[in-house]
Amino acid sequence: MKKKILISPIILFFLILLVFFYLLIIDRNPSELPSVLINKKVPTFEAKLLLENKTFKSPGEFENETTIVNFFATWCKPCRDEHPYLKKLSDERGLKIIGINYKDDSKRAIKWLKKLGNPYSYVLIDPNARLGIDWGVYGLPETFIVNSSHVIKYRLVGPITKKNYGAFVLKVKEVER
Amino acid sequence: MVPSLGNLTLWLSLLFAIFQFVIFHKKNFYSVLQFNKIAVKGLLFCSLVSFFSLMYCHIVSDFSVINVFQNSHTTKPLLYKISGVWGNHEGSMLLWILVLTIFNYFIFKLYNQKNIIFISKTLETQAIITIGFLLFTILTSNPFDRMITSHTNGLGFNPLLQDPALAIHPPLLYIGYVGFSAAFSFSVAAMSINVEKKIPWHSYMKPFVLAAWIFLSAGIAFGSIWAYYELGWGGWWFWDPVENASFMPWLLGTALVHSLIIVEKRKSLQSWVLLLSILSFLLSVIGTFLVRSGILTSVHTFVLDPARGIYILTFVALLGGYSLILFALKSKNFLNRRYFSFFSREGSILVNNIIMIVVCASVFLGTIYPLLVEVFSNNKISVGEPYFNSLTIPIMMPAILVMGMGPMLSWGKTDVIAILIKSLPSILLAVIISSIFFWVYRSYNMLGLAGIVLAFWIMSNILLTTVQQLIIKNKEVTQENIPKYSSGMIIAHLGIALLILGIAGSSIWQKEKIIRMKVNDETSIHDYNIVFKEISEVMGPNYVALQGNFWVYNNKKNIITKLKPENRFYPVTNNSTTEASIHTNLARDLYVVLGNGDKNEGWIVRIYYNPLVVWIWIGAFTIFLGGLFSMKNNLKKLKRLSI
Repeated sequence: MKKKILISPIILFFLILLVFFYLLIIDRNPSELPSVLINKKVPTFEAKLLLENKTFKSPGEFENETTIVNFFATWCKPCRDEHPYLKKLSDERGLKIIGINYKDDSKRAIKWLKKLGNPYSYVLIDPNARLGIDWGVYGLPETFIVNSSHVIKYRLVGPITKKNYGAFVLKVKEVER
Repeated sequence: MVPSLGNLTLWLSLLFAIFQFVIFHKKNFYSVLQFNKIAVKGLLFCSLVSFFSLMYCHIVSDFSVINVFQNSHTTKPLLYKISGVWGNHEGSMLLWILVLTIFNYFIFKLYNQKNIIFISKTLETQAIITIGFLLFTILTSNPFDRMITSHTNGLGFNPLLQDPALAIHPPLLYIGYVGFSAAFSFSVAAMSINVEKKIPWHSYMKPFVLAAWIFLSAGIAFGSIWAYYELGWGGWWFWDPVENASFMPWLLGTALVHSLIIVEKRKSLQSWVLLLSILSFLLSVIGTFLVRSGILTSVHTFVLDPARGIYILTFVALLGGYSLILFALKSKNFLNRRYFSFFSREGSILVNNIIMIVVCASVFLGTIYPLLVEVFSNNKISVGEPYFNSLTIPIMMPAILVMGMGPMLSWGKTDVIAILIKSLPSILLAVIISSIFFWVYRSYNMLGLAGIVLAFWIMSNILLTTVQQLIIKNKEVTQENIPKYSSGMIIAHLGIALLILGIAGSSIWQKEKIIRMKVNDETSIHDYNIVFKEISEVMGPNYVALQGNFWVYNNKKNIITKLKPENRFYPVTNNSTTEASIHTNLARDLYVVLGNGDKNEGWIVRIYYNPLVVWIWIGAFTIFLGGLFSMKNNLKKLKRLSI
């Protein structure tokens, strides 16, 4: 009887590991973070535009359509990988995307957009991470879906990739509805 | 140059670790003794060089290294450039490896003719662990990865992390975690070798467990101090997954430190101790997994990377699978049927063990519960303070009750009535002191009552036993029946009592006030009147700050202190932090935080009245001191073994 008890630690251990493995392997997307910002209005802020000498005012200039807000930087490697998918979203689906160029060198960002194409309707600059703080960003890239009444509905930490592109489009459709 | 050197020595460390594994795995020990030295010392040397190469890169701000670029900045003060080495995932893994190899070297130092098989087996297991962590670092998080484009400056460093308490917090924690790796290896070695050879494995294990426990305690304390002074939330413990990840091994370590005494004195509970030492290390690694894989999110979350998660989890599965299967097969050799009475010193230690395990299991469940819910129901929930508090506090209480009593009991059977008579003075003393205390504070609350009474209960016991001890010493009587106390135990237990006092006081009687204040506004908290005198801009070494000036008056209208909380803005990293201003005395802290606001609307001000907080830190320091005292005694024993 007593000897059987000695096996229980290993059984319990593997049961717990099984749960962890399952969570890692399923398409769970750990970066789909519940954020305090979800279901809140977009933050109020003002920011200079990268390509024009103008100021963008939030929430005034969020029009009444579903909008994607994407934080990116030229020094961020995953942002480069994500870029084609943002282009796809804007070219194929005609989505309005606002890019926020986070803690970056403006000249380098302009060059980068020229080279890779510009999927953004507006590119705001955030040289000192003020907007990053407003939006609660803690890693690049981060993408938010904002609905037509300026409410943040979804947050993705990490890049849009081949793997999660489909799911992301579904989310957009859900928000559009 | 230097980054390449670091990378090279990192790879060389891997080679040496594999070499160490191979030679200690071989059975013809005597012929390879010289190679042993080469392997162990080579490993230590290479990991040292590798670690200091990274430190050098951080100090000279070599931004061709991604790790430095992402985490450093030229304007950062030198201290934080150095602590920046382990303020990020990759660098902290390097520190982990360094500590691992240092412990490896200490174990190697224990080598002698008598224990050669046992220590070889231990070092073989240590080599496996080291290889695992080296491979993890090299494959998934190499700190020496370079960038193609060069930058003139780095992205900066979270200013929240620029704090002296946080600079030493991670190294202390890692010494703790890695100390448990030694316990793990000793445990595996004890089970693997022939049981006929009586090796006092527990005496080898104990100093390492004690060291791990001491450093883990100190590490957790510094983490709390940082949270209290730097985060500006008025609290010092938040049940964050990362805090839990260090708290769980600490609980098991506490159980282990105590049950090792039973093994030493009574030779029972051996298989239990073997299991505990395996579990403490596995929990340390699982804690790392939870934090680094991004499977759970917390304020500490490092970069999210599922690949890292898969790797660590596989590694845990291998380590845990191997050790626990070994346990299932071999631990029956360590079972013995010596049962003991509940009313004995070993009985009280057993109660301590059971309660520590139950608390650890509850914390573990609370930490992973959001994950379990997600697996089975697709909902996302988070488990917070109410769960942890309402579960752990009541379970801990009997442990504390027994803790006051246990040391008074003698080994073997004790007469129940005799104990009750013996503890009567301390019960009386505890009641008297608590009554005086409540008379002063004039506030009553069931939990607070229990906490404070328990704290004084332990203190009374300690006081009385110390007096007793001194009397015996003076009379030079050696009575068989009177148990002996180690000074380390007494000091550590006193520390726990002070800690409980602080925890109970600060959580039960804390007062919080969040209001919007304009200059010259007045508010009151507890017996204090606080006047917002002025707000001004001040310049720091690498920040500009808005500084509020609050004058605090007591109820006799005498000024007590001027508190100057700051709202700092770091132009370089462009982050802002709040710097709480705290007035501390032995009875309470007054804690003021300046929030957002402007001249017209006023500023949001958070004011906390935190009773007895300082006793938490004094308690933690006392526990640490007690640990060091026991360490001294145990090292003496170890020295005798290794001659």
